[in-house]
Amino acid sequence: MFTTPRLIIIGLGAALNVSIGTIVYLIKLPVYLDSIGTILVALLLAPDRTAAFLCAWAAGWIGLVVSGLVNPFLPWFAITDVAIALVTALLTVGAAATFRARPLRPIPFTAQVLLCGAVTGIVSGVVSAPVVAYLFGGVTGSGSALVVAVFLKAGENLMSAAMLSGLAADPPDKILQVLFAALLYRATPGELIAMLRPATQARLIR
Amino acid sequence: MARRELISGPNFSGRSGALMALLRDGKFAAETFYIGPYSEAALSGLSSTIADEIEIYRAKPARFGRAVFLPLGFAALGRREPQTLSGGEQVLLALHCFSLSHYEAIAIDSALEQLDPVHRDAALDYLGPREEAVGNVALIDNRLPPAPAGWSCSERAADTDVYDCDPGRVVADLAPRQAPTIAVSGLHFDYSDQKSIFRAVDLTLEGGQAYRVAGPNGAGKTTLLKLLVGVLAPKAGTLTFGGEPYRPWRQGNRAIALATQNPDHQWCGATLGDDLARRRSAFARHVHREYLSDTRMAKLADALGVRSLDAHLYELPLAARKRLSWLWPLSGALPWAMFDEPSVGQDAQTRLQLAAAIARLATLGYGVLFVTHDDDFAARIPHRVLALGDKQVKAG
Amino acid sequence: MTPNGALAVAFVLIALSMSGPGPRGTALLLVLTLAFAIIELRGATLIALRRAAVVVLPLGVFMGLVWIGIVGRAPAEIAADATGTRAAALVYVAGICGRLFFIVAVIQLVFLRFAQLTPLQFVGALALPVGVKRMLVVTLSLIETLRHAIDRAHTALIAAGTLTRSPSWRNLIHAWRLIQAVWLSAVTIVLGRMRDKWPVENTLALLDRTLAGGNPKWLLGDDRIWLPIALGAAVVILLADRIAGAS
Repeated sequence: MFTTPRLIIIGLGAALNVSIGTIVYLIKLPVYLDSIGTILVALLLAPDRTAAFLCAWAAGWIGLVVSGLVNPFLPWFAITDVAIALVTALLTVGAAATFRARPLRPIPFTAQVLLCGAVTGIVSGVVSAPVVAYLFGGVTGSGSALVVAVFLKAGENLMSAAMLSGLAADPPDKILQVLFAALLYRATPGELIAMLRPATQARLIR
Repeated sequence: MARRELISGPNFSGRSGALMALLRDGKFAAETFYIGPYSEAALSGLSSTIADEIEIYRAKPARFGRAVFLPLGFAALGRREPQTLSGGEQVLLALHCFSLSHYEAIAIDSALEQLDPVHRDAALDYLGPREEAVGNVALIDNRLPPAPAGWSCSERAADTDVYDCDPGRVVADLAPRQAPTIAVSGLHFDYSDQKSIFRAVDLTLEGGQAYRVAGPNGAGKTTLLKLLVGVLAPKAGTLTFGGEPYRPWRQGNRAIALATQNPDHQWCGATLGDDLARRRSAFARHVHREYLSDTRMAKLADALGVRSLDAHLYELPLAARKRLSWLWPLSGALPWAMFDEPSVGQDAQTRLQLAAAIARLATLGYGVLFVTHDDDFAARIPHRVLALGDKQVKAG
Repeated sequence: MTPNGALAVAFVLIALSMSGPGPRGTALLLVLTLAFAIIELRGATLIALRRAAVVVLPLGVFMGLVWIGIVGRAPAEIAADATGTRAAALVYVAGICGRLFFIVAVIQLVFLRFAQLTPLQFVGALALPVGVKRMLVVTLSLIETLRHAIDRAHTALIAAGTLTRSPSWRNLIHAWRLIQAVWLSAVTIVLGRMRDKWPVENTLALLDRTLAGGNPKWLLGDDRIWLPIALGAAVVILLADRIAGAS
């Protein structure tokens, strides 16, 4: 399962999560963009959903550990990462062929990005809400804390505010992340994708 | 008796494939130290410091009987990241690691072409037939004579014409232009963790002239090109372009088309079409749109061996990517063209054609800077020398 | 002191900070940590504190803006549906930031304590299975690879007129091109290694041999002083809070 090329791509996916996620965290945008690497790792392993899930999960958690040095809130969202890896493996991986089709087919591509991103965002928002509300009292360091504050000011209780904030911020964020991951997947050389397959299945991927 | 194998032939004759086949069949050696054309295949990629890179390869227990190849003071550089070394210095580090290692064989694919003449001779001497303790050596090098003494040579023939190129066709229809003068005054530069590279450099570069930037590995040749293009910002000093103040690190590059030493350091898109479209939009205010039209660029790319703008840049063979890297400066889109080690990895015929194309650019009035350690290549381009050393640049 | 001992002490200190000690426990924890820092690091303690401040201060300012400025009450007051006060919000935000500052500072103390070791030496000295150490080294090296890829992509896009070295609107607009170029550059780097260099050299086996020879040590030198002190302090802190709570 965890061949050397797959371990390398897990590490690269984690590094991508850390680098983009850290920049967004530091400039306090109301998005996260910290799971592009997770989604991309899963796409690279399509159509093997088990490998996609396990490797995406590993990339997500390794990224959390490293990101935790800059954003100490992040490691507590470990379950969210598992949820993102699971949804990606079950749903987004199914769109891999559409994402990689040459030439690009704009309508199916866009539809898949919107669907996969929205579902990932809803699941991620729901799973994260209890952590935001009960572990941190709504007080996280990311830009979405502003959205929580707005809901609280409007009279919502903590759990509702965290849930509504998640459902407002997560789907657009995950749609963006699926879009970026799909475009990076599309541009990745076929030789690398072939290396990630088990030896018996390796063939030139275009 | 240790083997000395030289695999020669033109580009696309399968030399790299033959080298890999030789290493994998197990008869050459059980394991072979490998230095590829660029840094990703010269260094292990597992170390964050030069000291760690050496430690990974050092034989444990220590090896005796083989001379240590120590061209630079790597002990003093121990804390530096290997990637911050220049291309040639990375090759020298790799050779040093080999000399300390347990490997009984080494294979080198074009990497020695990045070394300056002194280090190249030292490396070839170290790897030569006299040094039995080095073990087996397999080499691809476009600048070695067909059968150097003591080497067994296999000559391969080109097995495809898919990537045939003629750089001369790229510049054949270029109109003359007068490239503005670049003037540098009081240039200071140093990397934050290293000694200073340039100190109070004054320089005037005239259009219609080719300049060879010369100096040993690590002297700052690529650094100078990066300063002129705006990748790096000087600590002090001014630049003018055609008499006007020019700060490319702040305003963006608008004057110089650069072909980087490693071709993968210059792509800005996944396909050739994407890459050219982005350059077209970036230089829209400085270059006539028709000059960078898809039709014209497709024709020029074809002359360099790439038949379609849909070609995925990172899926092309390395030699083809290297040739394609010349497209931007040879296209004449910008008044100044800079080439950083353009002939590395190219066979004799292609080097001749490239030299003629670069010489023609200068003749047409473009400004040209090129970096090369290949004296034969440089001799085919009428040029003035910019000698780097002692933190200065002296025009010859 | 060994890296393993230092990490164990750090683990105890961080676990104690997250257990939410009362005032006496917090004071004892801070005194212990400061003593550790001054004795083991001396002047480098200030570097650790400065780095922790760089990470946590902007976060604190942001959270202060949101929770004191906009929301105006603490989460406990929100949960109790009380009117709440900005003072309570300030106390809560200060508490969260203080804990985060402590955690980041302790981690920095450990890294600075062994600043003279190279990354390979540090990882080699850890008492972990070779496979885990290998993954740590590979991850660190991939971060270097990504940094190198960022440098390469930056060079490419600046030379192509797409980006500038100095901050500019152009850089923001074309951020996607940089991300794509970085990814493709990183992928090309690792592809070259995995296809050519690593297989013929069996390079990862060399790494394993180097890590296996790292000779990890436990309970040497100052380990034998700090670890018992930290564990003893943990007992005292946890008991002190119980006693204070009971009385």
